[in-house]
Amino acid sequence: MALVEVLLELVFVVATMLVTATLVIVGPRNVAAALQDFRWRLEACLLPVAALAVVLLIRWSTGDIVQRLERRVLRNNITPYLFELDQALFGTNPVAVLQSFQTELLTSFFVFVYIYGYAFLLIFPFIAYFALEEMDELSTLVVAFTANYAIGLLCYTLFIAFGPRNVDPLLFEGLLYDAFPQSRTLTNTINQNTNVFPSLHTSLSMTVFFLAWVTREKYPLWLPVAGFLAISVSLSTMYLGIHWFSDVVAGTALALVSVYIGVNYTIEGLVAASRRFFQTQLERHNADRE
Amino acid sequence: MDDVAPSTTRRGLLATVGVGASALAGCSERLWSQAETTGPEQVSLTIKTVPADDDRLAATIASRLRENYTAAGIDATHEPVSKAELYRDILLEGEYDVFVTRHSGFDEYDALYGLLHSQFVSERGWQNPFHVSDVTIDEYLETQREADETDRSSVLADLIGHLLQTTPYTVVAYPYTVSGVTEPLQLPIPPRCPREYIEVMSHPENGPRDGPLEVGVFGEGLTEELNPLTVDRNRIDGLLDLVYDPLVRQIGDEYVPWLAEDVEWPEEGQRRARITLREGLEWHDGESLDTDDVEFTLAFLEDTSMGSVDGGVPAPRYRGRQTLLDRTAVIDDRTIDLYVFEASQTAARRLLTIPLLPAHIWTERSEAVADRQTEAITVANEDPVGSGLFAVSEATTATEFELESFDAHVLRGTADRPELLEGFSQFEGITFRIAPNPGAMGGLLIDGEIDVTASELPPETAREIRNATATRTVTGTTDAFYMIGYNSRQDELGNPNFRRLCSRLIDREHAVSEFFEGFAQPATTPNALVGLHDWDFDDELETSPDTDPLAFPGTDGEPNTSRVQSLFADIGYRYEDELLLE
Repeated sequence: MALVEVLLELVFVVATMLVTATLVIVGPRNVAAALQDFRWRLEACLLPVAALAVVLLIRWSTGDIVQRLERRVLRNNITPYLFELDQALFGTNPVAVLQSFQTELLTSFFVFVYIYGYAFLLIFPFIAYFALEEMDELSTLVVAFTANYAIGLLCYTLFIAFGPRNVDPLLFEGLLYDAFPQSRTLTNTINQNTNVFPSLHTSLSMTVFFLAWVTREKYPLWLPVAGFLAISVSLSTMYLGIHWFSDVVAGTALALVSVYIGVNYTIEGLVAASRRFFQTQLERHNADRE
Repeated sequence: MDDVAPSTTRRGLLATVGVGASALAGCSERLWSQAETTGPEQVSLTIKTVPADDDRLAATIASRLRENYTAAGIDATHEPVSKAELYRDILLEGEYDVFVTRHSGFDEYDALYGLLHSQFVSERGWQNPFHVSDVTIDEYLETQREADETDRSSVLADLIGHLLQTTPYTVVAYPYTVSGVTEPLQLPIPPRCPREYIEVMSHPENGPRDGPLEVGVFGEGLTEELNPLTVDRNRIDGLLDLVYDPLVRQIGDEYVPWLAEDVEWPEEGQRRARITLREGLEWHDGESLDTDDVEFTLAFLEDTSMGSVDGGVPAPRYRGRQTLLDRTAVIDDRTIDLYVFEASQTAARRLLTIPLLPAHIWTERSEAVADRQTEAITVANEDPVGSGLFAVSEATTATEFELESFDAHVLRGTADRPELLEGFSQFEGITFRIAPNPGAMGGLLIDGEIDVTASELPPETAREIRNATATRTVTGTTDAFYMIGYNSRQDELGNPNFRRLCSRLIDREHAVSEFFEGFAQPATTPNALVGLHDWDFDDELETSPDTDPLAFPGTDGEPNTSRVQSLFADIGYRYEDELLLE
């Protein structure tokens, strides 16, 4: 089965990268210590993880409904606007410009970054923040990811947008699937070709990068690594013909919003606030009745 | 009262307006004219087509078209729409200006009747999707239906000439079909339709094999919905024709009695066909198939609401053929008379190629579910019950689709069967393996997981398959074509001269050599330009002043801007700053 092979390879490569990075950036001692008292650490971030799980579950279970709603009811096809916006901003199309630097080496690099680098970038902070003294950073990360997915899902429902490779084969090349057609087996199970605005690859990568900045004192080495990877992932989405420049800008904006939410709000806080809100409503209601 | 301030403002505003108005009134007539006239705007057109994922070639033609329109001073936009939704936009809702798509080709000259007759102007599906209403076209379409062989060719020639003048649509090229195949398998022709599947499955050197023919396809949502009456879906080519059988199957130019044992045209004038069904016909669910099902199908296509909706809800498919029918008369279980309207036998026999539907299942689907929608044309029909050589198996997943042999089919047992079925079948059914894109489909073939590919191979994947050791490609020709269609209801596109000029704005020969890499035939002759690949008549078509009536004004795919501008000027358009004005 092609999907299984692709997945196995992904797991193997990413696991290797994770182990290396953990040993160098976090250090074996910290990891061992964290693993010993994993129980309270897990408990500490149980709520945000549950929230993330709920959002992912909604996304996974409503795929058909969302697709039907997006394509048959709402039908906001913004592809031509994205094309023209890119053109208007630069006079020429930034994706085409990036692709004009095409070499075999660069393509291999960006394909690697887009698939393996991205998976690594998303998973590593979980390990790194898990090994810290406090679980605040991990909770922030999870809340920020949740916000990314929730807002992303909303945009995907509201807008139909095809990426450059799908619109104009004369101007743009679909480098990823030309170089690595099997990867579509993988991405197809996760996403559809009408969901390119905003770029979740960019937003999640940039979220990790912005949080690396927030935690730069704890992991100084992680900041440049995350920065390099996040920017490479963003560029790769355009170089490979998957996203427009506008998607990447929107993805970065979404990352900023998500990090803001992650840093300033906690799931506990939101739950408490909503409980307070309903309580006052209830009290007022009761008071009115009396 | 706290609205003192606004009322002052209102008074002030009124005063200003009053002063302004009287000032304007005293002004010269020139200012008035300027204020009253809105300036002419640039002509704008949106080209809808599928994304490259669905059909790279259609997307490429559309992008070239956009560039050429832009060069002509048109504000052109290229909007990709997923295949199913594109069909919905152009065939059901008429929401488009210009579309580019692949058409599966015409079965007979009379197919133009359904495509263009104004009687279908408000119907859905491939029935007049361009919304043309042209009495001349109607007259030619009706006359060719009735005419005998000798008269028909001249009427058709006139029709083609008129269509080239008015161009409701235009054809770009006839692509070759290309299939990849693993080495030992003999593949006479790339499989797309039942006849071609039967040929590969009955080839003496291909078996017998304990297992199905493994066929690779790619695409989105290919097996989600298996309703033979709907048009707004992405499908595996030929799949439903393997499941649903007609009375008579068209094999090339032959009409081979299929579920019908015999077709008799007893009377002079040939207004009636007497059909005798084969003995022991069965539906896939074991129910017997009789003349009631034939009568039902033909009536149901005309009105899927079976009289419950005023004016009826015609099916979006097979209507062009169905309108040949006047009425039916069931004689007994196996004999039925079909009375046709004024039509020659050549045109009328198309009626017999409509796939049959089981009355016991579709009768219940006549309920209206929305405006101009019945259950019959919206239902997913996930477990299709047909009477074809293959039945849909229940063991179907998102990446695999199985057709099992329908052993009770009379043509599998009887000795008296069409020549085509000689040696059928060396395989036990067909399994479709669904890949996400052409590259992955090619990968499955090279890895030896499938026997043959059935979705169109883009040139680069075909190359990879040829370069691999145990695989090769087979090329064939079909009547399928890439077309550009225009919505006659949209502003400028209502003007035949404008459409004709737009139809010249694509360099067909350049497109074939560059985009198709030579794997297609450009449409250049009059009949080819309207979608009639073959011209079977003896007399030549009249050629227009220049040999290619829709010649491209430019070279090597690039339009000559000044030439295009003068052509638009010739038909009454104006330019300002290189922009084409309405």
